[in-house]
Amino acid sequence: MNKTEKALREIQAMDELAAMDSPIHRLAPLAKLLVTVAYIFVTVSFSKYDMTGLLIMILYPVAGYQFSLIPVYTCFYKLRIVLPLVCAVGIFNPFFDRGIVMTLGTISVSGGVISMLTLLMKGVFCLMASFLLVATTSIEEICHALRQFHVPRILTSLLLLTWRYVSLLLEQVSIMTQSYHLRAPGQKGIHVSAWGSFLGQLILRSMDRAAALYESMELRGFHGDFYYAGQKKMTAASWMYMVVWIGLFILMRAYNLPQILGSLFV
Amino acid sequence: MDMICFEDVTFAYEKENMVLDHLSFSIKEGEQVGLIGANGAGKSTLMKAMLGLISYEGHIYVDGQEVKPQNYAAVRKTLGYVLQDSDNQMFMPTVFEDMIFGPVNYGMSREEAEKRVEETLARMGLLHLKNRHNYKLSGGEKRMAAIATILAMEPKGMLMDEPSTALDPRNRRRLIEVLNELPVTKLIATHDLDLVLETCDRVLLLDDGKIVADGAAGEILRDKELLERHNLELPFCLAGVRIK
Ligand SMILES: Nc1ncnc2c1ncn2[C@@H]1O[C@H](COP(=O)(O)OP(=O)(O)O)[C@@H](O)[C@H]1O
Ligand SMILES: [Mg+2]
Repeated sequence: MNKTEKALREIQAMDELAAMDSPIHRLAPLAKLLVTVAYIFVTVSFSKYDMTGLLIMILYPVAGYQFSLIPVYTCFYKLRIVLPLVCAVGIFNPFFDRGIVMTLGTISVSGGVISMLTLLMKGVFCLMASFLLVATTSIEEICHALRQFHVPRILTSLLLLTWRYVSLLLEQVSIMTQSYHLRAPGQKGIHVSAWGSFLGQLILRSMDRAAALYESMELRGFHGDFYYAGQKKMTAASWMYMVVWIGLFILMRAYNLPQILGSLFV
Repeated sequence: MDMICFEDVTFAYEKENMVLDHLSFSIKEGEQVGLIGANGAGKSTLMKAMLGLISYEGHIYVDGQEVKPQNYAAVRKTLGYVLQDSDNQMFMPTVFEDMIFGPVNYGMSREEAEKRVEETLARMGLLHLKNRHNYKLSGGEKRMAAIATILAMEPKGMLMDEPSTALDPRNRRRLIEVLNELPVTKLIATHDLDLVLETCDRVLLLDDGKIVADGAAGEILRDKELLERHNLELPFCLAGVRIK
């Protein structure tokens, strides 16, 4: 199996994760979507020096992975390609922001280091939360939830098709690299002279397939509504899940819980 | 009553090359028609025209309604279309979800649709595929599943584009049985002439966008000279097999 094929299998396996069963999987997609959005919103809103306050936000992803029976490892493993990017976002902060904001014993820590770390934490937390949503909710369910939220059809269809399109694209890459290597044994990668036609073919082919798939959806009565995904209702448990988490997020944001807890014992 | 009616239909992908060349014919309700022709004869294009997937000149009527944008939904509900390439047909993660898709979109409740899917799979002997992931199916399994997704919609007419390619003998046999039990109007595009012989009463022979023969399956499929003139061969079961 080549690299692209592997990446493809992993994306397709997301559908399998979403098809598993667990207390989290059984919740209404709308509740999960709103909690995720609220989580990302609150996490991002922490100030760039508020590392201790931010720390408690890890509670949500940790609990989420526990109850959805998905190992946290899966998330990091599948996202290993994007993870370095997220981590690199604040990498230059220590050079720009040299003011000392904290001393730990004899080590003084500059604002840049702290803000780099909070950025990194924010990125990783949000990534974990988004992955949790996608791994416990199928793309159709997410689109359906968005529709309930009155997001325009055109946007939800676009989201759905983009998701499907990525796997089509990867599938084409893998088919084409395979047939290339079968006729160019011993070559590493694809020769520069073939890049142009390879890329052109790739785009044409995956556009063709995307169009054919969309046609096939239309032929079976699809007009931008996700009736077929909407069987999970807003149950009492879903409401609870939503209200409790969003309440907690607000608490975590408003009060620096680690500090308060710490001061109780000192 | 006519289920499908073509009146002087013309179509070309590129200006010079006519793919459908002033076609006129009609198919009655309940007829089983084989659409035969060599590769590139225009079989798939003809089916796409009926569903409004390409814009042609002339008129096509399906179940009394003209094929035009405001009628697309009705026409597409009337005619189930099994695509030539099953990869393009199956877009949901599992076979089951794919089969639910059509019926639910046409307003059936989920429970009813689930029952219908079970029945269809049982009838085709495919219950073991129900919860399989589409991308993990073999070519032939995918093809059978794709046919099942269309059968589950219980359309009034079926358009099948080369349904028997990629099928092993057992699945091909099962397909023939299922087709023969199904009373709806069928148009089967294929160059598997043995399949046509077993499932159709009437044959349309297409070559270069024109209908060059239209008649009883038993007659046309025995006409060696006619078939060979249009790059086809006698069905194996009529040809007598030469063993090397
Ligand atoms: N998208 C397309 N663009 C241009 N030409 C096409 C396209 N699709 C098919 N054709 C051409 O139209 C003719 C008929 O194709 P098709 O209907 O697929 O034949 P069949 O299904 O009988 O094998 C062929 O000559 C083919 O090359
Ligand atoms: Mg064809």
